Amino acid sequence: MQVSVYRYNPDVDEVPQMRDMSVDLPEGKDLMVLDVLELLKGQDPTLSYRRSCREGVCGSDGINMNGKNGLACITPVSEVVKRGKLVLRPLPGLPVVRDLVVDMTQFYRQFEKVQPYLINDQPPPAQERLQSPEQRAELDGLYECILCACCSTACPSFWWNPDKFIGPAGLLQAYRFLADSRDSATAERLSKLDDPFSVFRCRGIMNCVSVCPKGLNPTRAIGKIRSMLLHQGT
Amino acid sequence: MKTERPVNLSLSPANFSWPVTAMASIAHRLTGMLLFVGVGFLLYILDMALASDAGFADASALLGQPLPKVGMIAVMATLTFHLFAGVKHLLLDLGIGETFEAASRAAWLVFGLTAVVTVILGAWLW
Repeated sequence: MQVSVYRYNPDVDEVPQMRDMSVDLPEGKDLMVLDVLELLKGQDPTLSYRRSCREGVCGSDGINMNGKNGLACITPVSEVVKRGKLVLRPLPGLPVVRDLVVDMTQFYRQFEKVQPYLINDQPPPAQERLQSPEQRAELDGLYECILCACCSTACPSFWWNPDKFIGPAGLLQAYRFLADSRDSATAERLSKLDDPFSVFRCRGIMNCVSVCPKGLNPTRAIGKIRSMLLHQGT
Repeated sequence: MKTERPVNLSLSPANFSWPVTAMASIAHRLTGMLLFVGVGFLLYILDMALASDAGFADASALLGQPLPKVGMIAVMATLTFHLFAGVKHLLLDLGIGETFEAASRAAWLVFGLTAVVTVILGAWLW
């Protein structure tokens, strides 16, 4: 199989290049894209990419495969390959450190902005803060995010304003804490999001939902934040 | 060593796969811009037709020619798409059709309805 890989070594290359490599796939077996990367690294040890758990849990190996963002470790080659060719690029919109490794600073900075932790000024009870099963169910589809950045780097609004628009991943987490019955900082959280960029740069094009490897829906979370902002009337 | 890092941002459909929901959004904006010009064309003809009896005859004659007719149908198609896409967007703002499957179906529906309405309008105007 032909594989075209985005290569960039800051010590040597002036500009990034797409380089073609070829790899022999085992018969009758559908490899994951990460397996292909491992085979390529066997041929050329200078090829760089992030990886860790190889089972879609750590969120390290988010890359762009034939135009679609996803986790290389849980994406079968057959799902993305087009006309016998696999094209691998780094996640779009973020600065490239080397080959398929991107600098996630801007992404994490937006994540930090939403204060992704429980804020509660009440004295803690003797054991734990209880939730009803219904209150707990509010967090389903929100807490599962692994911060792989596939969604935010598929989002044009995040490409153009990575410093001002929180992005789908950050906003999903913002809503995860807005929706938490144990969190008492709802008003402060909302007032920090209430500007033309943080939330409202979302145009609902759903690139985020279409690529999320965990099947989460940032568009819906953003819609909920918008209604909360509207109801709060700030 | 360089301090400037490159960014992979190649937006052509060959390098980035755009879902139909994104296509509908981009087309919504494009049709909005085209309408800005298209409405000028409609107003020009309206102004001509309202000026006098002779002006009305001129406007009818103008719209009787193939090229202005095609232009008229194009403006109508643009308006139709923009209208349906706008309704879809309003529904999304109300929280209707937030799953990717529903949004994709809605986007295809907007493209499909525009095609059907354009064919009907085109047949009627020709």
